[in-house]
Amino acid sequence: MAGLSAVAKKTLDCKDLHSYLKTLPPDILDNLYNHPATCLAVFRELPELSKHYVMRMLFVEQAVSQTVIALWVTNKHQDLICFSEHKTSARVLSELRVWQEQSVVGDLPGWTLSPTFRQNMRVALLGGERAWIGGGALVPDKHAKDIPFLDKYALERWECVLHFMVGSSEGTDGVGNDIIDVLLHSGLMKSEPNEPLPSITPAGFQFLLMDTSSQVWYFMLQYLETLESREMDLTQCLSFLFQLSFSTLGKDYSTDGMTEQQLRFLQHLREFGLVYQRKRKAMRYYPSRLAVNLASGVTSLNTDTNQQGYLMVETNYRVYAYTDSPLKVALVALFCEMLYRFPNMAVGNLSRESVREALVRGIPAEQIISFLRSHAHPKMLKQKPVLPPTITDQIRLWEMERDRFKFTDGVLYSQFNSQSDFELLRDYAKDLDVLTWENPSKRVMVVSRSGHDDVRRFWIRQRQSNN
Amino acid sequence: MTESSVSSQLIIIVDTNPVWWGQADTGESGQNQMSLAQCLECLMVFSNSHLMMSHRNKLAVIAAHTDKSIFLYPKKDQGGTSAINISEEADQGDGKYELFGLVNNQIKNQARELVINGGSSLLYPDTVLAGALAMALCYIHRSEKEVGPGEQLSSRVLIIKGSEDNPEQYMNLMNAVFTAQKQNIVVDACVLDNDSGLLQQACDITGGIYLKIPQVSGLLQYLLWIFLPDPTERHKLTLPPKAQVDYRAACFCHRNLIDIGYQSSIPSFVA
Amino acid sequence: MVNVTKGILVECDPAMKQFLLHLDETDAFKTKFVLQDLDETHLFISADILGTLQNRIDDIMDRLSFPLVEK
Repeated sequence: MAGLSAVAKKTLDCKDLHSYLKTLPPDILDNLYNHPATCLAVFRELPELSKHYVMRMLFVEQAVSQTVIALWVTNKHQDLICFSEHKTSARVLSELRVWQEQSVVGDLPGWTLSPTFRQNMRVALLGGERAWIGGGALVPDKHAKDIPFLDKYALERWECVLHFMVGSSEGTDGVGNDIIDVLLHSGLMKSEPNEPLPSITPAGFQFLLMDTSSQVWYFMLQYLETLESREMDLTQCLSFLFQLSFSTLGKDYSTDGMTEQQLRFLQHLREFGLVYQRKRKAMRYYPSRLAVNLASGVTSLNTDTNQQGYLMVETNYRVYAYTDSPLKVALVALFCEMLYRFPNMAVGNLSRESVREALVRGIPAEQIISFLRSHAHPKMLKQKPVLPPTITDQIRLWEMERDRFKFTDGVLYSQFNSQSDFELLRDYAKDLDVLTWENPSKRVMVVSRSGHDDVRRFWIRQRQSNN
Repeated sequence: MTESSVSSQLIIIVDTNPVWWGQADTGESGQNQMSLAQCLECLMVFSNSHLMMSHRNKLAVIAAHTDKSIFLYPKKDQGGTSAINISEEADQGDGKYELFGLVNNQIKNQARELVINGGSSLLYPDTVLAGALAMALCYIHRSEKEVGPGEQLSSRVLIIKGSEDNPEQYMNLMNAVFTAQKQNIVVDACVLDNDSGLLQQACDITGGIYLKIPQVSGLLQYLLWIFLPDPTERHKLTLPPKAQVDYRAACFCHRNLIDIGYQSSIPSFVA
Repeated sequence: MVNVTKGILVECDPAMKQFLLHLDETDAFKTKFVLQDLDETHLFISADILGTLQNRIDDIMDRLSFPLVEK
């Protein structure tokens, strides 16, 4: 069955903030809302309508009836769309425990904002309460750092990680065990028994082609998952991370008032390049651009990473990379056949073979296209569409060419004696969500391999009870 | 991908006319229990809320005074919205989001300056609304040119006004409004007192919302409920219906509002 | 009475299905691998042939394509 692992196509599932928080247990979620920064971060990622619901209820102390809230959206002609939007918005708020059900006068169902969430949103908006961690005054830094320095620093640190992943020698010395742990845990790299260094996986290739802010967010999510094994408290780290994402670039913050755990966390962040700290014992740190607006990294374009695009793509399938960084050239070489190398640029060809090679490695066509688009040279950005349509279409076609077949592992059930038998078994499989294909007229159905045991047992029981 | 790169910019024009606020403060008009300071507080919470909606949202606040208009935020010497002057910022000791603190401090400082230095000249009971709107349009025009490639900026203007209309500004204001319409900029108006025919027309032309709030003490809630949603979101929400619009034009020579106008054969001349 | 067969469900366009049937009939892999012809776009095939089959398809696709760029 070795071939089957290649059958299931894996795309790197990069969760946004919302789907990540949904995976957390309710008590941790409630704890998180104790910090204004988390509330802000959660608020910003809500659907538009939900944001307005929260704003409208922020200064209302009691529960609001659900029917009243439903009336907030228009119920005119296209009401179906609006109503379903209302439904999702309301559901998201419940899922994130931003509001809870509470009945209003007359036993009508109503919603009320979670008290901690309401309180901390107000604090973020209006002020009051105690300062954020390390918000205290600082004497001016003797070694003050400006924004270009921080950008350069953060990028260098981050490229170290990427270098390490592609296995080029430049990165290996700067990468600590913590980073390797996270990379292994996330499945971006795997260690081979005979190799001293881990090697990259298909997921890792996809990771390389994501834009920097998504990379950082994905990486941080994976890091957070390893927290428990490090005996660190998720709530403390996460709220510090959110606070960091709302800090000002180019400003220094004091480490005063941080807990032991958070200080450890800060050292890790320093290693990833999310913060700059001159010395381990320094009492101040600078958040870098990677950390600022971290939580919005998945949904926004990579404009906030402040990197200039360097790729020119022509309709003749030529790709010009104006860069001297070996890493960037290596990234382009993942799906391009490199032809020439100059001191400040490299030229490659997008060919069927080179793209197929990338596809075989598990990089989907969409990712190649979005990589080309998000790193397009400013000159390219001026034209619309940014990439020549022939190129994007062809890359997609090359992918579809491999997708002419869809293979699903399964078990075929055939030669039923009666239609009722067939329907009985089919409905059972359907309820278990294991039915992959059916044809009632021929009385044939295919059940996924994982569901086979259940369905068979059901069938045997059924037959015994009938006899 | 296109949808996520649109940032929304809000320009708030607030009426700081000392004559009207002075009257409102002394409680002459009965229910108007609100001072300029309270109004600014509401305004700051509202602008924080706008900035809170998304990290890409942008903000500018213009004070329309009796003889001039000035930017309360961002400050003129900063050269754009992006540069944040860090050293300027007073260290804050509470849990407010840093950026909000910065914005609020700036608005407060500028407003204070305006109030202290603005009292020298003659005081008129009307506000230079047309000038403020023109400033807002220029600012929008500039910021739309400054956005990076691949980004889009959608802008709107909100006017918070208390003082009476001045028909003398009719032509200037209408010119500004038609420019706004041409640039696809929505003009909203939140009127604290004195129904304003001019603003009714402005909102109607640009597709904005005109609201004379029934209770001034609830200003913040009205702002948050009605004026926080972006024009693209508005069709989804139940908002107050369009009010009756007073479409009287002003006489071009005497600058009075007239019920029946006569159109001269010389283009656009009403007498 | 129900017959149970383990294998792989293949979903593809009708042309490719005919191609698979052709491979099956001509004994391209020295063995019959199509277990059941389900409908226009579905086949049920035996699992152990999958790797060889995919290589074969890649081969044929290679022969179908022509180089787009000149160097």
